[in-house]
Amino acid sequence: MVAWIGSRTVPLPAAIEHVAKLLAKSRCPVFSLDSDVHGCRSLIALAERVGATYDHVNGRDLAHEVALHTDIGGFFATATEVRRRADVIVIVGDIPAAHHDLLLSLAATKPDLSRAAGRRWFRINGKGGPALEGELRRRAKVVEVGAPDLPIDAVLGILRASLGGRRTPAALTDIDALLGALGKASFPVFVFSRPTDPASLAMLQGMLIDINRKQRASALFLPSDDDAWGMVLASTWMTGFPPRTGFSTGSPVYDPWLCDIDRMIAAKEADLYLWVSERDEARPPRRGGLPTIALVRSDRPFSGAAVTVRIGKAGLDHDGVVYSSRIGTLRAATATAPSDLPSVAAIAGELQHALQSEDMASC
Amino acid sequence: MLIRLAGGEVVDPANGLTGKRDVWIKDGFVVEKPVSKRADKTYDVSGCLIMAGAIDIHSHIGGGNVNTARLLLPEQHAAHLKRPLHTPLSNAGWSTFSTGCLYAQMGFTTVVEPAMSPSNALHTHMELADIPIIDKATLAILGNDDFLLSMIRDDASPAMIDDYVAWTVSRSRALGVKVINAGAAAAFKENVRNFAFDDVVPSYGVSSRRIVETLQASVGRLGIPHPLHVHANNLGIAGNAATAAETIQASAGQPLHLAHLQFYGYGTEGKRGFSSEAARLAELVNGNRDVTIDVGQVMFGQTVTISSDVTRQYAGMRTAHPKKSIIFDGDGNGGGIVPYRYRKDYYGSLQWAVGLELFLLIDDPWRVFFTTDHPNGAPFTAYPELFELLMSRDARNAKMAELDRSALELTTLGSISREYTLEEVAVMTRAAPARLLGLDDRGHLGPGAIADIAVYRKGQDIQKMFRDAALVFKDGDLVVRDGVVTHYRWGRALRLNPPPDKGMIKRMQAYHEERYGLSLDWFTFPDSAIARENPFAEVACRS
Repeated sequence: MVAWIGSRTVPLPAAIEHVAKLLAKSRCPVFSLDSDVHGCRSLIALAERVGATYDHVNGRDLAHEVALHTDIGGFFATATEVRRRADVIVIVGDIPAAHHDLLLSLAATKPDLSRAAGRRWFRINGKGGPALEGELRRRAKVVEVGAPDLPIDAVLGILRASLGGRRTPAALTDIDALLGALGKASFPVFVFSRPTDPASLAMLQGMLIDINRKQRASALFLPSDDDAWGMVLASTWMTGFPPRTGFSTGSPVYDPWLCDIDRMIAAKEADLYLWVSERDEARPPRRGGLPTIALVRSDRPFSGAAVTVRIGKAGLDHDGVVYSSRIGTLRAATATAPSDLPSVAAIAGELQHALQSEDMASC
Repeated sequence: MLIRLAGGEVVDPANGLTGKRDVWIKDGFVVEKPVSKRADKTYDVSGCLIMAGAIDIHSHIGGGNVNTARLLLPEQHAAHLKRPLHTPLSNAGWSTFSTGCLYAQMGFTTVVEPAMSPSNALHTHMELADIPIIDKATLAILGNDDFLLSMIRDDASPAMIDDYVAWTVSRSRALGVKVINAGAAAAFKENVRNFAFDDVVPSYGVSSRRIVETLQASVGRLGIPHPLHVHANNLGIAGNAATAAETIQASAGQPLHLAHLQFYGYGTEGKRGFSSEAARLAELVNGNRDVTIDVGQVMFGQTVTISSDVTRQYAGMRTAHPKKSIIFDGDGNGGGIVPYRYRKDYYGSLQWAVGLELFLLIDDPWRVFFTTDHPNGAPFTAYPELFELLMSRDARNAKMAELDRSALELTTLGSISREYTLEEVAVMTRAAPARLLGLDDRGHLGPGAIADIAVYRKGQDIQKMFRDAALVFKDGDLVVRDGVVTHYRWGRALRLNPPPDKGMIKRMQAYHEERYGLSLDWFTFPDSAIARENPFAEVACRS
């Protein structure tokens, strides 16, 4: 069983035909996506075909990460280079659990392209920041630098001012140890992720500009979600723009506010919702009254959905291509348990084909 | 299907066949005029020029740095779409889709992305696979990577070097090898900010010159058709013509290609200490038949500079317009994205003139190649304007009247009367690139050539003629009519496939596991990962 119209089990071609009809009829479809690069490519092409607006399923988090690149820029390094060269690693704020293995692997190695015998670890934290995960703290002997009553952007501001020899309004714990380590370092790297605070990012990159005037330093950006970052890359090369892009005018238009799908749904601009996720048991949010098409990894129909299609997962059911923070680029993901479940790209291809028939019918 | 292009004026210098004649196409190839057979389809192209599809040997159209530039500058893309026609960048697109369409509309059918980091090969090829219509190719960057620098430091045998170069070219599906400011990105990671041809990378004790010579020799021994593609040291710096001269002299009787020579054509004369040395460089190139160059012409307006020369890009951050940029330290390569506006001030005027001097003072159109180093000197959509500047002295004089006179006085441009002929344009953009890249199947209109054909409507307006091709065929398919794409198809990426040495594969497996803690699978990919039918076409190495 891979497809349902409402709660009725149907053959996949029947579900495809029904979805194509809904897409052809829609005046303002919106897509929330979470797939591998090929899945996203195929759905972005579909969005262009039907004039849809698209975003990632976790578009709000992703929008902050995209803004770092569109608004600020900065210094970046790959994890592979960090592993081989970084003699000081400074973790900024919280790092998602998905990247803890990477950090632990860095903690277990010494930089072979550095004259330093090992690496020193620090962590910058501010008010309300969660404690660092125990194993990493233990293994890397991480020194915490911060102030419990200051937000992290203020902490970074104080650190930046201190590095520049300027007076600061407050003191940070163990800042002298960090300043000393940075002063001696050949290639310090600041590791950051989950940027909820644009001011912190601006301050961090401003600090890197300051440091690089006299010595080298860089930053390792770990996206909150590697698959989401893969979607950013594919969207950017296909349309010229990151997600929160729409084809309502026929050409791609990037506007983080206008193309915010949650906003579009709340404002009742959208009249059809395509929600796609390859994650186990992930379900679309309930959007009362809005016809929803769910492409999900589930053996049951999504309650309230007009159509549900069970999909395979790239790297598990079928081969795919994903972004990997471990190497800082795309990698081929070979199926580890090949199955007959359809890939997102295959379904999108079928929909393209079915839409051709719809176009002909409407003529 | 048998197609006949009837009544056109053929410009085919590779075969010495320029003049009025029909061109016949069958099953995607140019064929002799068939005996007693009628064409299934005839196009009346009287009043038109017929040339082979154009080939761009150096245009940054895809890969990590290009995509990062798109991400950094969404507002620039909006400007591309919405600005009025006939303004700079008015129709330069950013996406893979628009790249293929815009190139095809001008009659270009093959484009080389000249700076693929091998570690980023999958991403690069996925982008290129999404560029419609045209064929693509890549040059793999070597010369800042730890493995090669360590081998040179340790005096590895030429055979060992060759095995590594062949493995890199093969696994990254490249058509050739490029070296970018050899050793400088590695040195920059060690806080070296200036890096000349005889400077050494601190941790390896290996000079830039030695890296270039090592790779140049290896490319020759492996029979890679395209000579080593060299982005030299000291790009953009006043007085760097001396660096270019050193590099030309270092070719030492072996083929060498110098990329975007315009950016190395600067002396230190004048009040501002920034002058043209183009005439001197042109003389050097004219006197050294082993050397080919592409120009990297500057045109005016907003663009973005994209380069793996991270040392240069870091220095350029202070001139970023708008004020944002990205500096990247990757494994083996660096990179920098710095947006820039070329103004008609002293510096912009001089750079513009230096490029044209090189075009016009290098005698042999087989050894000077038509590029703007897209998008570094200008977006490739400026090509029609550049054709006009090369083919019309009047157009050059009119443009010069808009520019900084004191800059132009430090150049020879005003005294040059040469105008490129159509035959020379066809050599520079068709026949010569095909020969340089080892692509025997294109760049000409002889029997057996793939039917990549551009038909231009002759007229006084050179820009219009080259901007909107009357007809363009790709592999015999009509893809453009009157400057408008009429048929979409997917091209292929042209690649070499030298057989990798088994011992080198084992070494690379051990290297990646030891140094990165990851198996080699993480850094390689099967053709199927591109998810297109026949994404690659193999080109043979020379025996």
